[in-house]
Amino acid sequence: MITLTNLGKIFRTELIETHALRDVNLQVNEGEFAALTGPSGSGKSTLLNILGTLESFDSGDYQLDGKSVKGLSDAALSKLRNEKIGFIFQSFNLIKDFSIYDNIELPLRYRGLNAAARKQRIEQALELVGLHARRDYLPGQLSGGQQQRVAIARAIAGEPRILLADEPTGNLDSLMARQVMELLEQINRQGCTILMVTHDPDQARRAGRNIQIIDGQLHDSTLYDPLAQHTA
Amino acid sequence: MEQLFYYLKVSWFSVKRAPLPYMLTVLILSLGLGVFFSNATFYYRINSDPLPAKSDKLFFPMMLLVPYQCSNCKPPSVLSYSNIAKLNASDIPSAKAAMYSAGGYLRLNSEQAPTPVNVRITQRDFFSMFDVPMLHGSIWPDNQARDEVLLSKATAEKLFGRTNVTGQQVLLDDRLFTVIGVLDQWQMLPRLYDAFNRNYLNPTEDIYLPLESGYDYNYLSNTNSSTFEDADYRKLATDGRTKAIHQLQYWVQLDTLAQQNAYRQFMANLVADEKAAGRHPSAEANQLVMMRDIVSYFDGESGDIKAFAIVTLLFLLVCVFNASHLSLNRYLSNQYEFSLRRALGANRSQLQVQLLVDMGLMSTFTLTGAAIIAYGGIKLMNYLWPANSLFASWDLQLMLALAALTLLCSYLVTLYPSLRASFGSLNKQLKE
Repeated sequence: MITLTNLGKIFRTELIETHALRDVNLQVNEGEFAALTGPSGSGKSTLLNILGTLESFDSGDYQLDGKSVKGLSDAALSKLRNEKIGFIFQSFNLIKDFSIYDNIELPLRYRGLNAAARKQRIEQALELVGLHARRDYLPGQLSGGQQQRVAIARAIAGEPRILLADEPTGNLDSLMARQVMELLEQINRQGCTILMVTHDPDQARRAGRNIQIIDGQLHDSTLYDPLAQHTA
Repeated sequence: MEQLFYYLKVSWFSVKRAPLPYMLTVLILSLGLGVFFSNATFYYRINSDPLPAKSDKLFFPMMLLVPYQCSNCKPPSVLSYSNIAKLNASDIPSAKAAMYSAGGYLRLNSEQAPTPVNVRITQRDFFSMFDVPMLHGSIWPDNQARDEVLLSKATAEKLFGRTNVTGQQVLLDDRLFTVIGVLDQWQMLPRLYDAFNRNYLNPTEDIYLPLESGYDYNYLSNTNSSTFEDADYRKLATDGRTKAIHQLQYWVQLDTLAQQNAYRQFMANLVADEKAAGRHPSAEANQLVMMRDIVSYFDGESGDIKAFAIVTLLFLLVCVFNASHLSLNRYLSNQYEFSLRRALGANRSQLQVQLLVDMGLMSTFTLTGAAIIAYGGIKLMNYLWPANSLFASWDLQLMLALAALTLLCSYLVTLYPSLRASFGSLNKQLKE
């Protein structure tokens, strides 16, 4: 589903060049739940942003569903983001003066769905994250965990094939973090591919696969057996 | 339509998020546009064409006919009675009228206190040439002297308390005249038939008297008269008709290019005849000026209004710059939302539509503010320069132009900030 070939990214300033990613080769199959781990500044978020087409790359190739995203126009990239990719951010990124309903509606608005179709998808997403009763609340009226569940609802309302999560539990306490992880696992079981940046080794182990990045290079790509981890 | 309401809702939330900077932006822009609108109103009125269908057909002939040598002399802006008689001999124009203005005192009877009035002393074609609307009665049947006058609507109402006063008698400078017609509401703006010495800024006259009667009763021009020979300008009935007392403006209507060329030739022949008769040794210096060029011919363009227009335009530019700066800050503080929308699938075109709706909302507030400030500005200018108050009205065309300018300024104010916001780095904003 996702194929990266010799992908490289360099951040340039007037004085220095920083190789954020070097010759990254990666294959992610449909339905996988992969964790991206590594020390701070190693290039995890950069890789996730490139996968989400929020950032460009300098060398190599990135193919999504067998098609290269290189050279796609702004409109084509926006369409791709809107239809195939869902984002979950560490700081939730909800619009504070929009209701929960309006926040979840955001990506659906840009897909051109009619009001009835949007409503149906939003209600399904709210059911899944267990916040249907709070659809008219403002984000500020919810706890951090609830806000992240709203962000997840927004990410899945468009029924994307890939979910990109950048430290989704980074701002949550352990109980809420566990609830969010359970929710992501539930979404993954329904067939959605998930790539998640995390610093938490426990969460990385819960994902089916751990992709480790150090100094912009893919060092290890280990397939964990979650069952084996739990029984160990 | 549903999407438009959504965009409006997003704009409104954006306003509510930071109302003070938004209000300040609108206020600055309204101030710049309001001050500019006030001046633009005067500028537009003063430079407008009062007779767009005819202004290229009405001409002001001027001839230099002097019995002495005069090199590089311009023809005088007014003609003598005898000049007019010679020009009137031509059948080339479709219409022709000599005229001048004078002052007088009007009342109904000798018991009443006299009211000062402006009198236009002219010939019958004046009314058709300048499209003067009639409310009651008719104009003079010919150009003969007669004790008959036409009144403006306002004068009739002021004097009689009504407008249908045909057949009534009035005392003009204690001479009895019969009212044969009342004009409908008429205000030629600018009053280009009397363009010399910036008289075109004045209101139209209160009362209209036949030219021959004006000469018979020795009505002197109150604007411009001159002579180059021993003539008593107070004796218009005699010296005014026979000697070189120049005080008459003259307008002709020449509908076609052929008529215009023929009339130029007629004027040239007339001067040649005078030269042949030994009455005009100088070179020919005839002028035939189109009505739409008459103000610039007389250098009558209002310099102070022009200068003020430039100042207000510069002030508007400063306001647009400042408003743009404020707008930039507002958009940069909202850049996170732009980035989020783009991350969730909005393309730049969709963001630009959102920004156009933002602009539309800002234009609505700004236009309202600017109209209020402009109205206040016009009132202030009328108070400071009452002579220009005729030029303070708005029409649909002017309002549409002002609305378009508001849209343009609002667009300029939102253009750069919106481009900055929509081309910002997505990942950076969303990570913060």
